[in-house]
Amino acid sequence: MSGAPSGALLVRVAALAVVVVFFQIGVVSEVPVFGVNADISPLLVAFVGLLCGSMLGAAGGFAVGLLVDLTLLQTLGLTSLVFTLIGYSCGRLRELRDPQAALTPLLVGASASAVSLVGYSLMEFMLGVDAPVSFELLRQIVLGVVVNTIVALPMWAIVRRSLEGALPEDPRRRRRRRAYTTGGLSPLSRS
Amino acid sequence: MLLVVLSLLLLTAYFGEAPGGRLHGVQRAFLTVVSPIQDGANKALKPVRDLFGWFGDALHAKGQRDQLRRQNDILRREVVADQAEKRSYRQLISLYHLDQLGVNDYHPVTATVFGKSPNIWYSTVTIDKGSSAGVRVNDPVINGEGLVGKVVQVASDGAQVDLITDSSVGVSARVGTSNATGIVQPKAGDPNDLLLQYLPANSQVNNGEYVVTSGTVSPDDSLYPPGIVIGQVTSVNEESAYRSVNVHPTANLHNLDVVQVLTSGAGTRPSNLSRLAASLPAGQSPAGGAVTGEQLASTGSGG
Repeated sequence: MSGAPSGALLVRVAALAVVVVFFQIGVVSEVPVFGVNADISPLLVAFVGLLCGSMLGAAGGFAVGLLVDLTLLQTLGLTSLVFTLIGYSCGRLRELRDPQAALTPLLVGASASAVSLVGYSLMEFMLGVDAPVSFELLRQIVLGVVVNTIVALPMWAIVRRSLEGALPEDPRRRRRRRAYTTGGLSPLSRS
Repeated sequence: MLLVVLSLLLLTAYFGEAPGGRLHGVQRAFLTVVSPIQDGANKALKPVRDLFGWFGDALHAKGQRDQLRRQNDILRREVVADQAEKRSYRQLISLYHLDQLGVNDYHPVTATVFGKSPNIWYSTVTIDKGSSAGVRVNDPVINGEGLVGKVVQVASDGAQVDLITDSSVGVSARVGTSNATGIVQPKAGDPNDLLLQYLPANSQVNNGEYVVTSGTVSPDDSLYPPGIVIGQVTSVNEESAYRSVNVHPTANLHNLDVVQVLTSGAGTRPSNLSRLAASLPAGQSPAGGAVTGEQLASTGSGG
């Protein structure tokens, strides 16, 4: 995304973040699937990065992480750190590769969930959590990624639909679309 | 880069400060502000949650019904036998004037759960009762099915509860009617399994037996009252010096709606124990994870 994000986009991202975090805490965390809970907050961060670029992705990740840590009285800064990295990475993916495949949200969602779960676990170990660790942890992480991947596509549709009107036109994407519809040439040059 | 540095600074400052520090205070203040909103959102979203829960419940209902019928038959027989034992037990207690700490010494405060951590590392829930209702740090939390956890942070109208499956929680417990006690701790990453550790190697434990809080009598006092069901034994592991036992929690920690906080009046024994556990240095506090109140209890210092 070129230039600074518009005010409308920032408001929509902020509103979406609040709704998603509260929905996560109030509903999604209460409904286990295959013995684990889906976590839609890293998916939100990843998709904001994928749609809005690295700057807004990182800022959104930090804000969502901070909101989660504050609301759940968790170690302040931990979720922010993990989510900032996820948002920034997904934003850079868009800026450098701009993947257009239909499965991109699925793969990005799965990767973001894996990074979130593994990153969190590593940070917890580094902070010296005192608990016996079993293979069950690995199973939980894998199942968590699978469940998050299942909800990635609906989540992508919701995030894209929510931000669609406020996303500025990307010149590079516009060029690509024109090249696709005109066979690489503008109508003027063809004539 | 700036945000990463900021996150690291927050993390370092938060981790280094005492539970009464500024950042913890900010969190508590934030909880005070958002808890009414969260509570309202939770009530509004309950139908959605119930709808999702209904599908899961329907899948397991038939199997659970058959299992519960069998269990009911066994329990009915046990109740008859237990009633006779209970009568003699009461007589013994009054005879020997045992300084037993029971649930009656606590004042239960009913609270609604309005938030739950999605993280496998933080098995916590947030409830809508706080210091204004008499809830204090380290108060035990139960529901109709058994032990749920303990309060770790308190705001005026809300509190955070660490579930018994949280890595920072350890509960002194015993199996069935035996006198052998151990510490129940979670198996990290598995919300359906607990581990009762440090049981004497010669203790007799059978699958299906109930594990209850030991609520040990003086001098090894516990934060939890005795006899609260924690879970059922699923398997027994042989180890060199101690025996450990896998325990399945009785309380459905995935679906907590209403819980009871066992608060205690100032100056009472439970209150003193809670205050002692809360006054531990940051690195040794239950929230710090290094030494839990129950571990302290097992050393004989109370907690």
